[in-house]
Amino acid sequence: MAKEMIAMLLAGGQGSRLYALTEKLAKPAVPFGGKYRIIDFPLSNCVNSGIDTVGILTQYQPLVLNEYIGNGQPWDLDRLYGGVHVLPPYQKASGSDWYKGTANAIYQNISFIERYDPQYVIILSGDQICKQDYSEFLKFHKEKNAEFSVAVMEVPWEEASRFGLMVADKDDRITEFQEKPKNPKSNLASMGIYIFNWDILRKYLEEDEADPKSENDFGNNIIPNLLRDNRRMYAYHFHGYWKDVGTISSLWEANMEILDPEHSGINLFDEDWKIYSRNSGMTGHKISAGAVVENAMITDGCRIKGSVKHSILFAGVKVEKGAVVEDAVIMGGTVIKSGATVKHCIVAENVTIGENAVVGAMPTESENGVATVGAGVRIGDNVKIGPNAMVRNDVEGGEE
Amino acid sequence: MMNANTSALGIVFPNSYDAWVPDLVNVRLMASIPFASRYRLIDFILSSMSHCDIDNISVMVNNNYHSLMDHLGSGREWDLVRKNGGLHIFPPFAEKSAKPYTGRVGALANILDFLRDEKEKYVVITDTNIVANIDFDAMIRAHIESGADVTIAYNEQKLPESLLENKSNDLGYYYTFGLEKGRIRKIYVNAKDTGIQNFSMNIFVVERELLIDMINTASVRGQEYFERDVLLPQLNKLNVQAYKHEGYIARICDMKSYFDENMKLLDDYNLDALFSGGPIYTKIRDDNPTRYIEGAKVQNAMVADGCVIEGEVENSILFRGVKVAKGAKVNNCILMQDSVVEAGANVEYLVMDKNVTITAGRDMKGTSTYPVYIGKHKTV
Repeated sequence: MAKEMIAMLLAGGQGSRLYALTEKLAKPAVPFGGKYRIIDFPLSNCVNSGIDTVGILTQYQPLVLNEYIGNGQPWDLDRLYGGVHVLPPYQKASGSDWYKGTANAIYQNISFIERYDPQYVIILSGDQICKQDYSEFLKFHKEKNAEFSVAVMEVPWEEASRFGLMVADKDDRITEFQEKPKNPKSNLASMGIYIFNWDILRKYLEEDEADPKSENDFGNNIIPNLLRDNRRMYAYHFHGYWKDVGTISSLWEANMEILDPEHSGINLFDEDWKIYSRNSGMTGHKISAGAVVENAMITDGCRIKGSVKHSILFAGVKVEKGAVVEDAVIMGGTVIKSGATVKHCIVAENVTIGENAVVGAMPTESENGVATVGAGVRIGDNVKIGPNAMVRNDVEGGEE
Repeated sequence: MMNANTSALGIVFPNSYDAWVPDLVNVRLMASIPFASRYRLIDFILSSMSHCDIDNISVMVNNNYHSLMDHLGSGREWDLVRKNGGLHIFPPFAEKSAKPYTGRVGALANILDFLRDEKEKYVVITDTNIVANIDFDAMIRAHIESGADVTIAYNEQKLPESLLENKSNDLGYYYTFGLEKGRIRKIYVNAKDTGIQNFSMNIFVVERELLIDMINTASVRGQEYFERDVLLPQLNKLNVQAYKHEGYIARICDMKSYFDENMKLLDDYNLDALFSGGPIYTKIRDDNPTRYIEGAKVQNAMVADGCVIEGEVENSILFRGVKVAKGAKVNNCILMQDSVVEAGANVEYLVMDKNVTITAGRDMKGTSTYPVYIGKHKTV
């Protein structure tokens, strides 16, 4: 039986601009929003949009991601026909290759897509925080009788030159594509989410592969080729919350925006569009007498004895008596010992912050960096970590 | 992997002692009473069994069991979806020959054919009104080492006041033991003794073949209760050993103990003691983390995911999806799933069942000795 549309999720990126956070895991596996990982958003969007077949293309540090996805059950993607499949590069009779680019990653998995014989393929990116109904996108694609559609966001004109831009006519038909241009002709930024008719996608992937000069990339090669051939290409306007969390500061910001769903536009409290994740299995969190908790998101297994303000705490975080946490993202299993001060920073999983240590500082006019502490790091007692620091290894004493 | 000689199957009685907590079981049964902010009572037994590789478990539902079926589903959360064994639910009329029953003997007589077909050497039988992380492996080892016919778990504690006060036997039977070097020499039914007792946890380990023989004989004689009718008269003939549970234990005997046992978990010492073993599994609800809005004031509370707190909460247990609005005060309360305390309402010593709403500005108070219960879906 054929599927109408299946999803291919590009999750191979290293996310090198997240530095210490992606040393041991791929960017889509980076924890987000108290109990999620970034990949939960596209996966939940798929399920909520009625897509039950998802191929996840992995390459960089896939271990955590593989284990997290498992059989796909938390997302309701354990299906007899379809479901979620992790697709790393593999050895073929005629040799093997790493994924050379985004288009090549899909090209190498043409046989996976063929198994489901879909009419449409949606290409998703594993590094965005966004709640989007892909079935609405598909409806648009069909209404326009398009061969290729791309989801776009209007961005401020002054920022437009940072993005890949789609120039479209009144009917939303794309006439030109500009990759990070000096002189933008449009402010419609590509979200990197595409719907292709499967026959078109296949044809252009095969052509692209045959071209030895190609970088095998959707933005640089496939889209220009579609334009060259005057294919029916349309821009689908998306108006909801969308955030590329590719940098420390954007990841921190996106986390903080959850604390203000009334204004920021990202609402995780939406019963009609749940974001699913693999559960920690810990008991309810505990706020002790004497603790202060204000404007925060706290989840299972946390023990709060100190002060937590304007922060996001993941499962099993312990904040001891007299410790102060403010403006911070504290990932699972981290312990903040008594008297420590942790501000305006991202602390990864299973970190220990020693007694009376100081990590980060509230932003000032001259310094507004987000301090980052990598997973498993031990910060010794009385250690001071500056506001812009990137800590990858244990720090026994002194300042960094 | 467990040695075949020590393999055991589990049999769970989810309706036992329903009569002790009539309010709480109005829309459910003992096994599915919510506990400790995100669990149901049966989660503790099933998780303990799962940790001890007991993965062939029969749940003998008798009545009012829809909520439990809903909770258990296929048993996946407890790792009980197995090709061999897994989770079985036996409703009262599962087989043509089944008869209504009141005690364990009658219930087990209905599934004798099933018991005969299984392969496990031992059977572990439990109720669900006990919250504990039980090491069934250790109990089975003790059973084997002592050469007992039957081993029963107990702990040392005083009998709850509600049991001492209650003069009628209508609410069912509980048991205390007279011991001699670990062997049970006396079984007292519905004793009224004060002071520390050897209080039966009603958890048995017995060889499957022997259990089948005992049930066969007892059901021919029209007997119903295992301890009272089968074991008590044969204590000289059968080697019945007692196994002392040393770990943390909470017993639900009435509304007061339900309230107190929840509240005890606000003490980190107790919380760590109960959850120090393997994790306790439960049905996943996919709630978002709990959100504390500016102005929230929370002291000494255990809170599950999915809550939105804008008011004041003190000495309370909040289950998943609870909302406490601005200016509301919650003191010494248990708020079950999705209950709502609206703006400016003030509640104290309440046990609010699922989906209860306290409307804006209301005052509602119980006392520490008599927490007031508000039924499911009610609006005050």
